[in-house]
Amino acid sequence: MSSHPLAPRRLAALAALTAIAAGAAACGPKSEDAGADATPHQGGTLTILNQTPQTKFDPAREYTTGGGNIPGLVFRSLTTRARKAGAAGTAVVPDLATDIGEPSQGATVWTYHLKAGLKFEDGTPITSADIKYGVERSFAPQLSGGAPYLRDWLTGASGYQGPYKDPKGLSAITTPDARTVVFHLNKPEGDFPYLATQTQFTPVPKAKDTGTKYQDHPVSSGPYEVVSNQNDGTTLTLKRNPYWSQKSDAQRHAYPDRIVVDSGLDPAVIDQRLATGSGADADAVTTDTNLGPAELAKVNGDKELASRVGTGHFGFTNYLAFNPKVKPFDNQKVREAIAYAINRTSVVNAAGGSSLAEPATTFLPNQATFGYTPYDPFPAGRSGNAAKAKALLAQAGYPHGLTVTLTASTSDANQDGPAVAAAVQDGLKAAGITVKLVGLEDDKYQQDIYSVASEPGMFLSGWGADWPSGGPFLAPIFDGRQIVKDGYNFNSAQLNDPSVNAEIDRINKITDHAAAAKLWGKLDQRIGTKALTVPLFHPVYKRLYGKNVRNVVISDWTGVLDVSQVAVK
Amino acid sequence: MATAAPAPQAGTAPIGVVPASGARQVWRRLRSQRAAVTAATVLVLLILIAVLAPVLSAIEGQDPTTYHDALVNSASGGVPHGSLGGISGVHWLGVEPGTGRDLFARLVYGSQISLLVAVGATVVQVAVGIAVGLAAGLGSRLLDQFLGHTTDVMIALPGLVFAIALMAVVPNSFPRPLLLMLVIGLLGWGGTARVVRAQTLSLKELDYVAAARLGGSSPWRIARRELLPPLAAPVITYAALLLPSNVVSEAGLSFLGVGVRPPTSSWGQMLSSATTWFQADPMYVLLPAALLFVTTLAFTVFGDALRTALDPRAASRLRVGVRRRRTKEETA
Repeated sequence: MSSHPLAPRRLAALAALTAIAAGAAACGPKSEDAGADATPHQGGTLTILNQTPQTKFDPAREYTTGGGNIPGLVFRSLTTRARKAGAAGTAVVPDLATDIGEPSQGATVWTYHLKAGLKFEDGTPITSADIKYGVERSFAPQLSGGAPYLRDWLTGASGYQGPYKDPKGLSAITTPDARTVVFHLNKPEGDFPYLATQTQFTPVPKAKDTGTKYQDHPVSSGPYEVVSNQNDGTTLTLKRNPYWSQKSDAQRHAYPDRIVVDSGLDPAVIDQRLATGSGADADAVTTDTNLGPAELAKVNGDKELASRVGTGHFGFTNYLAFNPKVKPFDNQKVREAIAYAINRTSVVNAAGGSSLAEPATTFLPNQATFGYTPYDPFPAGRSGNAAKAKALLAQAGYPHGLTVTLTASTSDANQDGPAVAAAVQDGLKAAGITVKLVGLEDDKYQQDIYSVASEPGMFLSGWGADWPSGGPFLAPIFDGRQIVKDGYNFNSAQLNDPSVNAEIDRINKITDHAAAAKLWGKLDQRIGTKALTVPLFHPVYKRLYGKNVRNVVISDWTGVLDVSQVAVK
Repeated sequence: MATAAPAPQAGTAPIGVVPASGARQVWRRLRSQRAAVTAATVLVLLILIAVLAPVLSAIEGQDPTTYHDALVNSASGGVPHGSLGGISGVHWLGVEPGTGRDLFARLVYGSQISLLVAVGATVVQVAVGIAVGLAAGLGSRLLDQFLGHTTDVMIALPGLVFAIALMAVVPNSFPRPLLLMLVIGLLGWGGTARVVRAQTLSLKELDYVAAARLGGSSPWRIARRELLPPLAAPVITYAALLLPSNVVSEAGLSFLGVGVRPPTSSWGQMLSSATTWFQADPMYVLLPAALLFVTTLAFTVFGDALRTALDPRAASRLRVGVRRRRTKEETA
């Protein structure tokens, strides 16, 4: 895929979006009689065909990025992600709040004001107390599942057990009036507006809280409310929430009248149903099923199908991870030799080809919002530099090559399985490195690679951040204070470099996202020269959508077609 | 087919007469069946292909593991360039999608693993089956009951589930083809054991066995000298039918991802990675599937013919030799 047609397309998309926004401001989208393509059709039923059920449909229990895709239809939070295509969609924008948050006292205190006239699905007004209660609920042990940031960041929250056990609530959250909520943090966090996109910041009316049963019918603050939720989110039916107004929500559009989520399906079935598009499947999309290489080859041979493929870039890096505590990976020269020897063309092909993976030389994903700074500390071209690798191995004391073990999953579903492993193996063969492959069943693989005790010497790994910023991308992997000895540890190299830790702290204080991004890029480059990881590729998501689906918006934040924007003909 | 009437079951028919009447006669009976000759030819060819895999790949000028990135269309999921999965003078059967590895070389090298595992597993099944069957047939009633129930359990076990579990717990350093052999072999001896026990029970009542026992021979000697020779026919027949199912078992386990490890190829591994490609690159699926089909069919046909040839009563219906002319007259 070349980058040439990107600029005009971006412009066109922007133009279309401004048109919609203008229409929305006037009186909301019109029905059929409006111009052909100018305003998307309102009404109809959108079907979502998925593999994974929408389990734990409770705002306290959802682990989302940017408030999620399907959860975002029912749950609004203080801020949200911009519902725009491409890079514009990586911005954080106000949702229930009037702005993305006012930092004070060096980004340790964040103040939010709610918009006027906000209502729940039953018509009762949304107040700041409901936001506070929603956050507090997520601390209850029986409602676990969310991201750990709130417990780490809010002052005095580390031992809090939720409002059922401790009704006094969290003193770190104050509500000076019905429309103002203030968060007190124990350290400066410039990325707080990104965290506030998550569903834990969704208002929950205390009177309607039914504890663990709340997930059957959570009280909606968004454009849709739950009609029925069967088998823990396997079949979820949503209808319009009459108290939601487009005027208070600049992001969601909610064109269809009803949304039906049908999950627990096989990926091949989903692709086949979307391709055929008979009956309700013509109005269907998927939010979790990517086209694999074979499906892509088939779709590319059919013009009509090819026109119904949405392409998304979620910030993710697949990489080769080293454990420097295991010989010979303690030797930087060996790690560098492997970095030089990798044949990224083979690796990309194994991951599905150039349409499904872009070769990576940086740990940060290739998007400006993460602070992407192009660099390659070990330049070896697309197909590797075996001669340079051999020279480095000789310097390291292995003039006749060496044998190493590479651990991977036995499943290719997440592009960390035998296909990519064998491509790495073939690339290293040219440099005289014999690679023995160890394939572990996926659960065992995840357990082993993320545990300090069982971490293999060299393995395939991947990382995506909770929101599109350099902080959550780099800190869990390279911050020495985030090494977890008895639990899930993502700092595979067990790097504990005081200067790196100090730099992470320094950047976390910066509230200007663009300025921080630049520094994250620099830090990434600095860590890259240590050859603790070998970035392999950034995956690209391609997904089919039904014949009648219009207004497809795919942001770089999620990489997935946004269901709040979709219209069905 | 020559056997018009249903052939008696090798396992259940009491053996009243001394079975095989010399290897030469069996050979003649086999030769008289056209299907057997065809199946045997195919099998010899397959074994030759497996043995000569390095030579055949060298003649083609390819090897099974080298990547050819330029031969696949990277932008389109890695589907091979050219028609029919990239078949050309250089790559006789095309290349693998995504990697560009030569399919001919992978198939011929894969046949090594697939056949080796199938034969090895059959040997294990037959060895364990004979041992358990003989012990049950000759041992005390208690031992017979114990072994009988054990055999029942082995037959009733969901073999595939157990095989997957076993393959998953064995350390990675253990050679995979050997492990496949052992797992398939050790889970699949139940049938052989039953056949051998039944035959032993009827054989040991015969006068010559009783004579040997009265003459003071130990059970071990009786088993070796008096029972094993007549057991050969039913066991060989049974083994010939076990082989094709073992080829399929290997394919099944590799298909489920617990078989051989990359970059080694086997037919099952190839089928497994080919399943998603059946629409975009049909050749990739058809090649290993066709080979597996031909192999299984050849083994089954040959096993059936062997049974007929080894069973004197079924063989008499073959009308080998003197009655050939009459057969001709009848069909004319």
